[in-house]
Amino acid sequence: MKRITAMSRGLASCHLCQKVASSQLHHCPRCGTALHLRKRDSINRTLALLLTACVLYVPANVYPIMITDQLSSSLESTILGGVVLLIQMDSIPVAAIIFIASVMVPIGKLLALFYLCWTVKRGSSVSPRQRSVAYRVTELIGKWSMIDVFVVSILVALVHIGKVLVIRPGIASIAFATLVIVTMIAAEGFDPRLIWDKEEEQYD
Amino acid sequence: MECIYHRVYSVSEFSIVSNFYVEMSIVKPEDEWIACPSCDQLFAIGQMQHGETARCCSCNHLLSTYRNKPYEQVVAYSISGLIFLTLACSNPFMSFKSSGLESVMSLPQAISQIRGEGMWDLALLVACFIMIIPGIVLVLAMFLGLSLALRWRNHWAKEVAKVIFYLQTWSMVEVFFIGVLVSLFKIAHMATVGIGLAFWSYAAFAIFFTLALSRLDTYQTWKRLEELEV
Repeated sequence: MKRITAMSRGLASCHLCQKVASSQLHHCPRCGTALHLRKRDSINRTLALLLTACVLYVPANVYPIMITDQLSSSLESTILGGVVLLIQMDSIPVAAIIFIASVMVPIGKLLALFYLCWTVKRGSSVSPRQRSVAYRVTELIGKWSMIDVFVVSILVALVHIGKVLVIRPGIASIAFATLVIVTMIAAEGFDPRLIWDKEEEQYD
Repeated sequence: MECIYHRVYSVSEFSIVSNFYVEMSIVKPEDEWIACPSCDQLFAIGQMQHGETARCCSCNHLLSTYRNKPYEQVVAYSISGLIFLTLACSNPFMSFKSSGLESVMSLPQAISQIRGEGMWDLALLVACFIMIIPGIVLVLAMFLGLSLALRWRNHWAKEVAKVIFYLQTWSMVEVFFIGVLVSLFKIAHMATVGIGLAFWSYAAFAIFFTLALSRLDTYQTWKRLEELEV
């Protein structure tokens, strides 16, 4: 099956409204957004944001995400510490949700995007269809890592009974929220069409 | 542009692709070009029927879904969503009772509580993701739905549509709701946890929000906006 891409016919599709227009134009004739054949500097931008995310990953996991003050004692829990605590409390399903959302999803997302950038840069011919699916999944699950931040926010807002029991947010919560936002921007900046560009050369 | 047609696909070759006439003889003058946002494959897309979806044949990306009268539905769902959002913001969300003391939380209180702990940045992020951005998107969706349903020509409809499509990635209504459920499990053993009216309102809001946005198909919406201008 031969692929006919918009680019090979000198056409660019607007990334906002999907209008197909001549790539000679600078702006989309329908919505006025800047028109490009491919997102500009897609790989470099994504890589830069991924590095930022890696840096943010350190404080997000080292510092406490939540601090529980009970009478005189104070308990600081990190993301992983919270998961361990939940397992000890026998709430395995909740522990699994938190573990998947705040440990596996961010790491998986970083690895997937690094891999995609690397294959595009190298011009790899690993099944573009599969890589396309990988990208779509990465894009889709990105915001679900925010669960832990929301859990902390609700607990902070709800649990404050005089001086008996108070839950405070830790510095890791903001680091983790920023990490999620940065990876979301990184995923959005990546242009999935680059995965397929190599494919076209082979067939044409 | 004749060269674009040179590869002949028969419609039956892709059974899930119900509306692609990428065949020279059946490309009609009113058909529009659409390039798959995921792999850049070019298609000619014709008038679709209610409930039909068009998918890219090389990467299976969903290109467009067509529904009859989608904009009337957008208006209805976004008005319902806004009513529930108002209820969710003005009623107690959850209560927490331990050793004879009770604390009741509403969503705006939750935000000010986080800010009170010295985390104004976190408070701002949470407020934006769960209330402000979804609220703005719904108000704009209601406006866009009204202008498209009533064929009301105005200069702002396109700008409004742009803002909606930019912002919709950044609303985390459903994620927040799962977060609420997780935190319920987390503290259920510590004390008596009560659920308020706002909890159910927020659940309804999440459903209507998702429904309203699902009726705003990128391709169909922009096509309609373009038709209005001519």
